[in-house]
Amino acid sequence: MSKGKRHSIFRKSLTRTILFAIVILFAQSTFEPYNQSQLALVLIYFIGVLSVTLLTGISGQLSLGQGALMAVGGYSAALTMINLEYSMWVAIPIAMVVASLAGLLLGVAAARLSGPYLAGTTLVIALAIPTLANRFFSIFKGDEGLVVDSGYPPEWLTNLLGEVTYEEWQLYSVLPFALLALFFASNILLSRTGRVWKSIRDNQSAAALSGVNFSRQKVFAFVVASAFAGVAGALYGMRGLVGPSVYPVSLSLALLTAAVLGGIRSIAGAFIGTIIVVFLPDWINLVLGRFETSSQLADYLPALISGLLLIATVVINPAGVMGGAHHHKKK
Amino acid sequence: MDTFLSALFSGLSGGAIYSVVALGLVIVWRGAGIVNFAQMGQAMFSTYIASTLIQNGYSYWVGFIVAIFAGALIGSLLDLLVMRPLSNKKKTELLSSESMRAAVPVIASLGILAVLQALAGIIWAAEERGFPSPVIREGFVIGGTVMPFTSFDIFVIGTVFITLTITTLFFKKTGMGLAMRATALNQEVAKLSGIRTNHTRTLSWAISGAASSLAGLLIAPTSNLSPNSLDLILIIGFTAAVVGGLNSPAGAVVGGLIVGLVMSFVTFYLTPEDVFLSILVLLLFVLIVKPRGIFSGKDSRRV
Repeated sequence: MSKGKRHSIFRKSLTRTILFAIVILFAQSTFEPYNQSQLALVLIYFIGVLSVTLLTGISGQLSLGQGALMAVGGYSAALTMINLEYSMWVAIPIAMVVASLAGLLLGVAAARLSGPYLAGTTLVIALAIPTLANRFFSIFKGDEGLVVDSGYPPEWLTNLLGEVTYEEWQLYSVLPFALLALFFASNILLSRTGRVWKSIRDNQSAAALSGVNFSRQKVFAFVVASAFAGVAGALYGMRGLVGPSVYPVSLSLALLTAAVLGGIRSIAGAFIGTIIVVFLPDWINLVLGRFETSSQLADYLPALISGLLLIATVVINPAGVMGGAHHHKKK
Repeated sequence: MDTFLSALFSGLSGGAIYSVVALGLVIVWRGAGIVNFAQMGQAMFSTYIASTLIQNGYSYWVGFIVAIFAGALIGSLLDLLVMRPLSNKKKTELLSSESMRAAVPVIASLGILAVLQALAGIIWAAEERGFPSPVIREGFVIGGTVMPFTSFDIFVIGTVFITLTITTLFFKKTGMGLAMRATALNQEVAKLSGIRTNHTRTLSWAISGAASSLAGLLIAPTSNLSPNSLDLILIIGFTAAVVGGLNSPAGAVVGGLIVGLVMSFVTFYLTPEDVFLSILVLLLFVLIVKPRGIFSGKDSRRV
């Protein structure tokens, strides 16, 4: 790859990231506190969904266990903060490294598996990992979990912006990580690595014949995706609690749903899907509020609608919301 | 010795049920090339139907039979409404990628699972309910001591044995069964020799749906019924199917018994908390040592 080409990839990713930051900051300035907190949640999910996009959408490995890797990130960050009393800015990179190592282990096993075998195995992992919290109670504190939070805004920030509310700080403490995640994901997608992963996804035999060491690349994709999941998991835990109930199997499935709805091969799709998944319950409550409904309908309608959306997406347009644009560009 | 016998019997009775779950997965995998992650959602749904009938005064056996047919109906509807349209869309750009082609049906089945669970939550509310068993669930008393197996265990093992016999006879002796095996072996050739592969696909979904409903009916008395109560059973059944080999019905039965025994011995001799770790270990062990399962034929798909 020429130096100029690398430069243009870098510039393109940087432009995207800056635009994204501007949009988020603008949106947050018009939102009330509840939606600011939801927006922070969107950013955390976005990092997790990017992990699915890279792993499943780009490298073609279907994982139903990204929630387990988020749990690994969450627990490492929480243990670092509680036992070593480091700040979150140290704990999150540590969570990233630990989750990548877990991803390396998983990836080595996963590279041997394909399709439904991988999906089922990762589902078993998503289920088995949280039970470790009870198994090693003295470290992980079982079902109660570990209590952590992102603390208070630092002094320089309040000096700069005046009073910073709790919800605003939730968003500001997450935003830098979301921006870094977006920047790296965009770089990977545009670079040679992204193209190699896509070649494995589309035709493994052809990729192997063109000299791609696909086992190594698959493991590499798993490690990178796990790093994303680890950061997302750490940030997710810092909303108050790290415990088995915070990282259930349904979390892994929600990440996959978001990635598929938006368009599993695109970064913009990951963001759109995340917005749908996070805000869908709110939108449904907004509509339901006008009618007399039973509480069980209100409880289960979001799951029903997101399930129906998921089925409709794969049956009608499996490439997702952003799939069409992708399609035209290629032709 | 007592612990050993208890573990053995509870393992065999549990394992018999997991065999049926695994068999359901294997039938759809062979018939349609899909691992159906919605299977126990379907089972949950038809068990709720049985439970509603029984609560409204019908006998256990009416509920039992209606649930089996409801399972078959749900299975065939899922094929007709979701999976067949999906497989007819093979020409789109995304589905030209080989790994996406494998991933999309899995994602669809997860969507179906979510929909079935949400529907059950809306229709039957979310609270757990018990489910009756047709026979008493207390240990036999022989010579004054309580034996470690119950008449319910005998009922489970007997039902499963009859089901397996019928299934085997169906696949070996009937024309439709042979057509399904031919389709599983090679879809193109089956089509060319006049088999309507669309029909055999739907039929495999129906049979698998009926089998998993049976599993649901047999599990519900010991685990209660709620929209999510059978999620874990799917994972166990998947492990059983992989242990035996996803392609082999006989393997599914053996795999189910192995998984049942492992779980029961871990529960009795270690702690119940280790059950899912032990399943994970078993699954990874089989995938590493014999990735196509114990009963696999030769390995022809690898690059």
